[in-house]
Amino acid sequence: MPDLAFLFGQSLSGLTAAMFLFLVASGLSLIFGVLGVLNFAHGSFYMLGAYTTYQIVQWLGRDPGSFWWAALGAAVSIAILGGLIERFLFRHLYGADVLYQLLFTYALVLILSDAAKVLWGTGQLSVSRPPGLTGAFKLWGTFIPYYNLFVLLLGPTIALLFWLLLTRTRNGRLIRAAALDREMLGALGVNVDRLYTGVFVVGSFLAGLGGALIAPVKAVVPGMDVEIIVEAFIVVVIGGLGSFWGTMLGALVYGQVLAFGILIFPRFSIFSVFALMAVVLILRPWGLLGRPLKS
Amino acid sequence: MQRRTVLIAILALLLLVPPAADAQKPIKVGFPMPLSGPAALYGDPALKGAQLFVEEINAKGGVLGRKIELLARDSKANADEAVRVSRELILKENVDFLVGTLTSAEGPAVSVVAKENKVVFIAPIPKTDQLTAPDKLHPYIFRVAATTTMEGRSIAEIVAKWNVKRIATISFDYAYGQDVTRAFVEHIKRIKPGVEIVDQQWPKLGEADYTPFINAQMAKKPDAVFSSIWGGHFLTFSKQAKPLGYFDAIKYNLIGAGEIASPEATKAMGAEYPVGVWGNSYDAFYWQDAPPAHRDYTARLSKFLKDDAPSSWSIQTYMAMQFLVEAIKKAGSTDSDKVAKALLGLTVDTPHGKLTIRAKDHQANRGQLYGQTARDPKYPFAIMKPMTYVDPTKFMD
Repeated sequence: MPDLAFLFGQSLSGLTAAMFLFLVASGLSLIFGVLGVLNFAHGSFYMLGAYTTYQIVQWLGRDPGSFWWAALGAAVSIAILGGLIERFLFRHLYGADVLYQLLFTYALVLILSDAAKVLWGTGQLSVSRPPGLTGAFKLWGTFIPYYNLFVLLLGPTIALLFWLLLTRTRNGRLIRAAALDREMLGALGVNVDRLYTGVFVVGSFLAGLGGALIAPVKAVVPGMDVEIIVEAFIVVVIGGLGSFWGTMLGALVYGQVLAFGILIFPRFSIFSVFALMAVVLILRPWGLLGRPLKS
Repeated sequence: MQRRTVLIAILALLLLVPPAADAQKPIKVGFPMPLSGPAALYGDPALKGAQLFVEEINAKGGVLGRKIELLARDSKANADEAVRVSRELILKENVDFLVGTLTSAEGPAVSVVAKENKVVFIAPIPKTDQLTAPDKLHPYIFRVAATTTMEGRSIAEIVAKWNVKRIATISFDYAYGQDVTRAFVEHIKRIKPGVEIVDQQWPKLGEADYTPFINAQMAKKPDAVFSSIWGGHFLTFSKQAKPLGYFDAIKYNLIGAGEIASPEATKAMGAEYPVGVWGNSYDAFYWQDAPPAHRDYTARLSKFLKDDAPSSWSIQTYMAMQFLVEAIKKAGSTDSDKVAKALLGLTVDTPHGKLTIRAKDHQANRGQLYGQTARDPKYPFAIMKPMTYVDPTKFMD
């Protein structure tokens, strides 16, 4: 007989977690959908986003708006970093064997995590919640931190913007076309290379933003790269690799299953999520909203 | 004779010189410790503690007329790697003893290597009961850290004095979290039968989002919470728990195992620290009622680390090295069998007072500092005030 206030609080916490996951997983899914590369280093971009936010907050000092500038600065820096990596490294991998691509992105994970250790050390770093969003309010018997509310609102906003970009703009149409047939798009006179870099920049921006926004609710530590990439990967597998709304659905399902799973299997909190992924893989190997792969 | 032949003859003679020169060779101590990755946060100061002791003892001429040489290797907080470097230290570097390891995964793994090679191994930090459990005990393993049993029970002794009835626990679902929580729950039920364990949460090690666990726990309305969310994880936990009103709901009656009140932890968390919760630490440079030797040790460590607020982790390896050297002195030899015998029942005057390694389970009666955290105008971070050293001697069995 858990009371309603508690169930409400639990589902909200699942929703908040889902929004963070969506930010990171949507970039991963976009890059896979268009470029055909499963970028393991996506989690490293998220981690660097968190570290960069910490760094900029340190530089700006006690300025009340410092967190917002830092988050923006971090997301943009990671977007630029992603663009450079695509332009000079990834470009050589298109069309290569999947194994090479995986090995290459895995190498990037190791390099970037060591780089973060060299720059920021191995200690835990902390970013405070921005002023104005530090407290919480009570709704239907449950405390909702203002910052969580902000994330709850920001997630769908970004999803909507992203969806408009993909469906209502020329670039969006080109991106979707590139996902379907790269050669044909090139033959029609579109600069596919530039388009790919653009997609990679957008994907990296989302990862960097995810890392920046998680910094106030989590310790910034080495290892957060691997942690998130596993979760984001589960989300896109559940939702369907390359499917935009699938990623959103996957994140929502992940958040709720984790939040309520611990009530049913308190000793196996992570089990429920993996069980769900296994079921999805058996029944719909292409994910809930994905398309079956062409054989 | 040609000059060449003379040279060769001299060389051959040099090689034949009996090991009398051995007395001048240093005593080698292998030191496997996490020196990279997240665990290096604790592994680095742990290495420094041992280095400080070695520097001091060598300045006094060493032991048995021989200097001590510390050979540190990075164990990467990984049992396999710890085993690999320990084997290398014994087989290639011919170390006489092993001191080191940090995690409860590394400690028992290296203990097996020590047993195979008959080399004395002193574990300064791993807490798992398994390390010195009757079926795992062998003549060469010793420990100067508290065990999970001692830590869980020490906390139960403190909570028994609180005016609380409904107790909840939150711990990571792996060896350390399970063992220390079980020790706490069993002991508090024994010494204060009126309490009720109303909720137990088991997030996975390194959980990123504690909110669902926190909500679920608050729904059971506990008066007090036992936590073993250690180190940096506690920062994430409290950042998420604070705005949910968790600490207010339990009136800050949270007591944490796993060194959450160490100066390192409160310093790293700064303004985010939930000041008012209880925690423990191996050491505290600001310890007022410490034995006189502690003040002196802190000053030396402070100078050695060039840090006004020196680490609380160095003391463990400093003590481990102290025990080793005293045992060598007592045995009058660096033979591991003799040193192992000398360690049994050995009492050493450490910076935290007299400690004894028990003969029956090779375990030192090492306590920890416990206290409620509070702000102090003298420091930019929370300290334990008041703080007490909980001596576990009475409840080690």
